[in-house]
Amino acid sequence: MSTVAARSDFAREILHVYGIITWVAAVIALVVFAGLAWVLLRFRDRPGAPPPPQTRGHTLLELSWTIAPALVLLLIAIPTIQVIFRTQAAPAAGALEVLVRGRQWWWEFRYPALDVATANELHLPAGRPVQLTLEGPDVIHSFWVPQLGGKRDVVPGRLNRLTLTPDTPGEYWGQCAEFCGASHANMGMRVVVDAPAAFERWVAAQRATPAEPAGPAAAGKAIFASRACVGCHTIRGVSAGVLGPDLTTFGGRKTLAAGMLPNTPETVAAWVKDPGAIKPGVKMPALGLTDAEARAVAAYLMTLK
Amino acid sequence: MSAAWVTPAASWITTVDHKRIGVLYGVTAFLFFLVGGVEALLIRLQLAGPGGRVVSAETYNALFTMHGTTMVFLAIMPLNAAFFNYMVPLLIGARDVAFPRLNALSYWILLFGGLFLNASFLVGAPPDAGWFGYANLTSKQFTPGPSVDFWLLSLQVLGVSSMLGGINFIVTILNMRAPGMTLMRMPVFVWMTLVVQFLIVLAFPPITVGLIFLMFDRFFGTRFYDVAAGGDLHLWQHLFWIFGHPEVYILILPAFGIVSEVLPTFARKPLFGAPVVIYSGVLIGFFGFGVWSHHMFAAGMGPVAALSIATMLIAIPTGVKIFNWLATLWGGAIRTTTALHFAVGLVGLFTIGGLSGIMHASPPVDLQQTDSYFVVAHLHYVLIGGSLFGLFAGAYYWWPKITGRLLDERLGKLQFWVVFAGFNVAFFPQHYLGAIGMPRRIYTYSAAAGWTFWNAVSTVGAFGIALGVLLFMVNAWRSLTRGAPASADPWDGRTLEWRTSSPPPLHDFDTIPPIYGRDTFWREKHGRPGIVPAPTHDHTHIHLPAPSRWPVLTALGIAVLAIGALTHVAVVLAGALFTVVCMFAFALEHHRNPAHAQQDGDLGVDHRKVAVWVFLGSECFFFGTLIATYLAYNGRSVVGPEPHQILNIPLTTLSTFDLLMSSLLMVLALAAVQRDDRRQARLWLFGTALFGLIFLGFQVYEFTHFVREGLTLQRNLFGSTFFVLTGFHGGHVTVGVVWLLALLILDLRGRLGRVDAVKVEVAGLYWHFVDIVWIAIFTLVYLMP
Repeated sequence: MSTVAARSDFAREILHVYGIITWVAAVIALVVFAGLAWVLLRFRDRPGAPPPPQTRGHTLLELSWTIAPALVLLLIAIPTIQVIFRTQAAPAAGALEVLVRGRQWWWEFRYPALDVATANELHLPAGRPVQLTLEGPDVIHSFWVPQLGGKRDVVPGRLNRLTLTPDTPGEYWGQCAEFCGASHANMGMRVVVDAPAAFERWVAAQRATPAEPAGPAAAGKAIFASRACVGCHTIRGVSAGVLGPDLTTFGGRKTLAAGMLPNTPETVAAWVKDPGAIKPGVKMPALGLTDAEARAVAAYLMTLK
Repeated sequence: MSAAWVTPAASWITTVDHKRIGVLYGVTAFLFFLVGGVEALLIRLQLAGPGGRVVSAETYNALFTMHGTTMVFLAIMPLNAAFFNYMVPLLIGARDVAFPRLNALSYWILLFGGLFLNASFLVGAPPDAGWFGYANLTSKQFTPGPSVDFWLLSLQVLGVSSMLGGINFIVTILNMRAPGMTLMRMPVFVWMTLVVQFLIVLAFPPITVGLIFLMFDRFFGTRFYDVAAGGDLHLWQHLFWIFGHPEVYILILPAFGIVSEVLPTFARKPLFGAPVVIYSGVLIGFFGFGVWSHHMFAAGMGPVAALSIATMLIAIPTGVKIFNWLATLWGGAIRTTTALHFAVGLVGLFTIGGLSGIMHASPPVDLQQTDSYFVVAHLHYVLIGGSLFGLFAGAYYWWPKITGRLLDERLGKLQFWVVFAGFNVAFFPQHYLGAIGMPRRIYTYSAAAGWTFWNAVSTVGAFGIALGVLLFMVNAWRSLTRGAPASADPWDGRTLEWRTSSPPPLHDFDTIPPIYGRDTFWREKHGRPGIVPAPTHDHTHIHLPAPSRWPVLTALGIAVLAIGALTHVAVVLAGALFTVVCMFAFALEHHRNPAHAQQDGDLGVDHRKVAVWVFLGSECFFFGTLIATYLAYNGRSVVGPEPHQILNIPLTTLSTFDLLMSSLLMVLALAAVQRDDRRQARLWLFGTALFGLIFLGFQVYEFTHFVREGLTLQRNLFGSTFFVLTGFHGGHVTVGVVWLLALLILDLRGRLGRVDAVKVEVAGLYWHFVDIVWIAIFTLVYLMP
């Protein structure tokens, strides 16, 4: 999650200004510390010596060290203003639209033009501008994927926008960056930047209706379909709940519970059995499944790719 | 121990002596500082490794909330106040502050407010929504328990304490300086104090209003932060940060003032460019009000560039001070006392904190850094490296004056290095942690994030700071029990406090010398030509403020009020009644005391008039915030009724006229009192109060009519903003009516004469102000479409 490993135009623009300011700051710090060290070494009191000359000030000196910082600030202000305008510009035509809904404590991602809905793992094509529209139904969150750029708050009642073009395929981590309650620390996400062809394959997989599961997974699906799960979750062709994450391609995601755990049959079974034990304050209740039922449901969910 | 410390406990409860109050503030604040420190250590223990299980998520969220709230409001601010209280009168050659009992009241409110806040732990509901309490996490919907109620009530109580102190010190500094001490001859610490008090009285009203909105939302169902009703969550952030940014200057300027005293003393030469240091302090205070939304660069507002430039501009007066301090040391004869160590430490560490602040001033960079550990590093560099180091410098510098003992210099320097090392080990790595993506306010993190090592290092550093604090306590204890006695002037000081004994006598100075320039005392000592030594005895009768029980009792009433808000309305009423009774007793305690009849000051204006003007200045910000909210929310209500459907302009024109006429009657009342026309005074005082009651009658009618028509507090944004705005105005009118009736009763009992004209004038100023506010409300709410 390093802010200095830039993987988008937005992040690189920021890094450009970051670098300038860091150098300027380092030089100023050096000047001040060197000055401090020198005066402390050079001007010591000697017992019995008379008081030093009682200099009260020096107008020219004071003027220069007022003007000098102002000029130095120009070095920072000019690139700052330039980058503000470049990064706040409206996105180019043909930008991919993604609706981001930050909720306690997970991320919902919808691609309206592609009829795709998913959660906690955002896929983007490399080299294409994306406009993220941020909103939320509960409290303020903040969308932050450091390698792809700066953060932007999710403010209920407002639409905030973030525009960027990821340039390098890879997997990037993000996390909520505005304190939002009990599991604020557990509201992570993954962003997978694919080469365009791979992204198209992913989109196609998202849109497909999952195949009928066989074996223990079938039992799991039966449990899912008959319990309260369907009230909160959507699985294409099975249920249409909107309170919790869309699970249509859950099995293909790399992490569970918004980046908390790797997505394996064991972790999923533990989660399904007792989410509250893993994620403090989570809204998903424990449904009183037995261990066997939980494993079956996990097996089913892992087939959803 | 010296004699001043062995007085019975009871006298501490009724004391109004600024020196005792300073000690009370210092000890209380230090204890709260330890509480905040323990909270910090628990935080660092939890974060020392990934998947920490030292505390639960819920407890952690309460810990960082309480750590921030405690350190800002119960530690740094009152530690600053300890020095304001003890040192400002001494530094300006006064014998106490302008309002000694009000001063005591400020302290007791702080103590009870701090205890109330921490009582939340006892009921298992410590505040847990962050020290900044963003809406709408703080709404009842998302934080249903009483934790946020404890938080918002405590802050309002503590705000009263700060406001009263602000008014007190402004009047003191403007009105009570030694003869010849013009404003530009005041020590820089006094100047910084003055700027801080102005910041307090102007910055607290906006957050008070924000907290009132939150309180009303939670207790009464108003819609201020209700998104579904059209509310804007940015409103809270604006109100909080309009307070919050000046607040950081409130926290740091006193430390700058202390450094500006310590460096010259131990370099044996004057502060270089003192006027410029003063002007830059004033500029910082002034411009500090303009940059609040640099805390909101990621919030999705529009024009960030302007705020970015403004923020960078503030860096200039701040940076200038660093150079002035360096130039003070340059060419000096530096004595490396512990106080000097801490002052120099501040210069170095604040430079780092200021530079990381410059980075935050650039919105693109800030979008990466905000809400990460980078900004946590920044804020601790300026608050510990800045404020706390300044306070330690002040402690080592002024300890001999306050206690009559010396702190051990060897142990002191060891303590400095332990704190300095611990602090840098704890917080420098956090810049890096932020740069590699660690967000703030997270109770845990995964091993895979790569944050483990530097978190562990940071935790070690935190315990280093704790050790350093412990060493200070050891040093303090040893000094108090068997420290070497201190002379009046152990450092060859430059300012007036060194001209009296250590500790000073109850009356501070035997004689108050005339002031011929900055550093008059130093120049007296070192035989500069043109300085006439001050006379050795003073013929002026020394009036000392008498102890009083009303400050502690009034504060108790306020505490009961706060407790009542969380328990039962009967307790609220009992607390309110008790507080009002105490306030009357307080006000009347010295009503006929001839020593209190005239309270003229250096500005030629009575203390009480200056105080009221300062108070009215803060009220401008209070009502301005309420009116601005009304205007911002105008037209955003999701359901009706809307203003034009329900406001009765003809009727309100009548009530406005009535209120304006009441001001005329008030003018007549004051004129009558001033010429001792008893009959007319009673007539016009009664008339003013009557007209005020008529206005209130109109308002009661209006409110009940609106409620019948379906407009309630909870109905929509219009209902919330309208009733709160006009309701608080009506509350102010009510207070005015009660005030006037009290004066009337005094007059009827023959106890209001020409000598009391100032009291009537002060009531008149308040009354006229309330009328002017109504004119603004009438115009903006009723008359404008």
